[in-house]
Amino acid sequence: MNGNSSINTKFSRRGFLGLAGAAASIPLLAACSGGSGGGGGNKPIKFWNMPWGNTAFNPLDQKITEAYKPANGLPSAAYQEIQWANFTQTFSSAVASNTGPAVSSGGGTQAFQFESQGAIAYADNLLNSWKNNGLYNDFLPGLLDAMKVPKGYAAVPYNLDMRVLWYSKPLLDQAGAKVPTDWQSYLDACAALKKIGVYGYGTAAGAGAFTGGHILVSWMINNGGGLFDEKQQPNCVTQENIDAMNFVLELVSKGYIDPASPTYTSANAQAQWKAKKYGMGFDTAGLAQNVGGDALNDLAVASPLTSPNGKKGALFFPNNIMMYKNTPSQEGSEAFLTYYYQNMTPLWTQATGIGLPPLKSITQTKEFQANANNVKVINEWQPIAKTWAAPGGTALFLGVTTVDGTPAMDTFTQSILGGKTDAKSALTTLQNSIKANLKS
Amino acid sequence: MSTTSIADRMGRAKRGVGVSGTGRQGGRRRNKSLRAKTWTYIIFTAPALILLLLINLYPVIYAAFQSLRNGTLIDGGDFVGFTNYVNTLVAGNMTPAFWQAALFTLIFTLVGVFGSWAVGLVLALLLRTRIPARGLFKVLLLLPWIVPVVVSAFSWNWLVATPQSPFPMLAQALGLGNVLFLADPTLAKVTVCVFKVWISFPFMMMMMSSALAAVDNNVYEAAKVDGAGSWQVFREITLPLISRSTYISWILMTIFCVNDFPTIFLLTGGGPVGSTTSLVVLAYRTVFQDFQVGPGVAIAFMTTVVLIVVSVVLYRQIRKASIE
Repeated sequence: MNGNSSINTKFSRRGFLGLAGAAASIPLLAACSGGSGGGGGNKPIKFWNMPWGNTAFNPLDQKITEAYKPANGLPSAAYQEIQWANFTQTFSSAVASNTGPAVSSGGGTQAFQFESQGAIAYADNLLNSWKNNGLYNDFLPGLLDAMKVPKGYAAVPYNLDMRVLWYSKPLLDQAGAKVPTDWQSYLDACAALKKIGVYGYGTAAGAGAFTGGHILVSWMINNGGGLFDEKQQPNCVTQENIDAMNFVLELVSKGYIDPASPTYTSANAQAQWKAKKYGMGFDTAGLAQNVGGDALNDLAVASPLTSPNGKKGALFFPNNIMMYKNTPSQEGSEAFLTYYYQNMTPLWTQATGIGLPPLKSITQTKEFQANANNVKVINEWQPIAKTWAAPGGTALFLGVTTVDGTPAMDTFTQSILGGKTDAKSALTTLQNSIKANLKS
Repeated sequence: MSTTSIADRMGRAKRGVGVSGTGRQGGRRRNKSLRAKTWTYIIFTAPALILLLLINLYPVIYAAFQSLRNGTLIDGGDFVGFTNYVNTLVAGNMTPAFWQAALFTLIFTLVGVFGSWAVGLVLALLLRTRIPARGLFKVLLLLPWIVPVVVSAFSWNWLVATPQSPFPMLAQALGLGNVLFLADPTLAKVTVCVFKVWISFPFMMMMMSSALAAVDNNVYEAAKVDGAGSWQVFREITLPLISRSTYISWILMTIFCVNDFPTIFLLTGGGPVGSTTSLVVLAYRTVFQDFQVGPGVAIAFMTTVVLIVVSVVLYRQIRKASIE
């Protein structure tokens, strides 16, 4: 009896341990078994999209996605909204673990980051197929070029985020100033506005507000400059850039820029527009809607300024949709995107708050044409707008992640808008920071 | 079942060797039973321990490896040894930013800890006196701690950010001109530190209130009888008797301040020109905005080490206070 008991005890203990080990190994084995891979089957195409607009955007977007009826043998589509909070981690961990989407939007430079890691399925075949159904020629000029990397198209343009010059009609009238057309007339208008206690260069460069930095680069591009050369290397300390930053520093020193703007949030800047303290300024194409109230009637988009070099230009962000190699079916990803682009017009015609459309056909709808400011942005600003890659190129690339909302760009912006630097020193510091970040 | 008699068993009980079986055999069985029990405990606690290790230790070890690599958020990168630490501390593009952030973290922590402690202690002492609506005051004074920091930061931004905000208007009315509370680097530091004191003093007030409640009133009465003045009572009796709680609150607040991300990030984003960037904010921006995981994690690790050292020093003070 004792002997048996002893054996039983040993057995049960080992048995228990064995069972425990087996139980513990199940999730490990499951974790090691990989993700969806490229096996196909009945798995749907996972489409992850961001909250690009107001609360109406994602429900409508989901409705469009779920209305997709795939051709025989192709997978259906499943919709997932991804929040902007920590979206880089969300995507990177999902892609690394093969549990990510087959198709997604995301950050403007996300496709180029994943492309450099070999995770992106190039859109060349898709775009070729769109030459037959009219979609290819429907894109606004220059948009597709911004997506092209040496190995192919990393993504497809989706919605446009522009930086444009806004002015307040009543405040310019009150100041007796004309809508500026070049740098000198801009200075004149600022001087007139200052006399009535209004700032002529409304901007924001504080917590979470990257617009201030975008506009500084816009000034550089407007003067024929920019941050990167043809080899996609930082080339910030150029005469065009120095002249542009000297012009901004002149605006600072003359008191045309709100001295608190280096630390303004977007909400602070909008409050200044609302309080009629900003008579002119650069912002997104949706500024009037964001400020609301009187601004809807008072604010208007001006034409792009002409620089002393006789050039025009501005910074813009072609947000995009990318396809991933980790898909149940590449053919299925492409078929879904074809459907999506052919049916996404309501996202713009039903006031969902998404950025400007990438397709000419959408800009020609009566709903879009009803907004004169948007029409002006598409007609006058979009054709002259360039990406971060300017002046060296048009296509985005991995290196632009060193300037898009980075501490280096924030520091540069706040030092220029604070007026306690000179153009060459600030640009040299920026250049060195970009170089160091590219190396590491 | 047993073959021993009751008398034998009684004798054994008196000798303390157990009531059944042989003494030696019983000891072996007890040892065996003890071993079995130990194994059982280990087996039953193992899942929880493994889970704890996976949740707490694994990320730390993984992060330590990350700090020795040059990866990004989507790429593990290559092993680079201690390059990230060296570049951060002495000879890299991160070095000036790191030391600027370290200095601000020190200022922010010192002001945060001692500022909130001083305000909290004063209020705790005041709340001991007989004032009308004391309960209401307690609740009101707790509000800065209770309200989510996002709301507080938004409120403070409204108070100080634009020239039309109440504080700049007040400064204007006092003839101080256009005071840039957030745009001027020095004033931004002051504003962020004051904001930290404001959201932290209720915690200190609670800690000090509970410490003061534990002090025996007879001690105060005895001191009064001996002719001690208010300052003498505070310095010689109150402070020593609440020293243990004081050190604990300093440790906690030091950890809160050094690890405080939202207070700074929501109010200034670390600006202007990096003047309010603390080590935690710098680590965040390096990892999530510059996509340099290695240097960012290295900064976080070094911050943790400093924090541990400070905590140990303060903890020794607690032991000292307990002994005394």
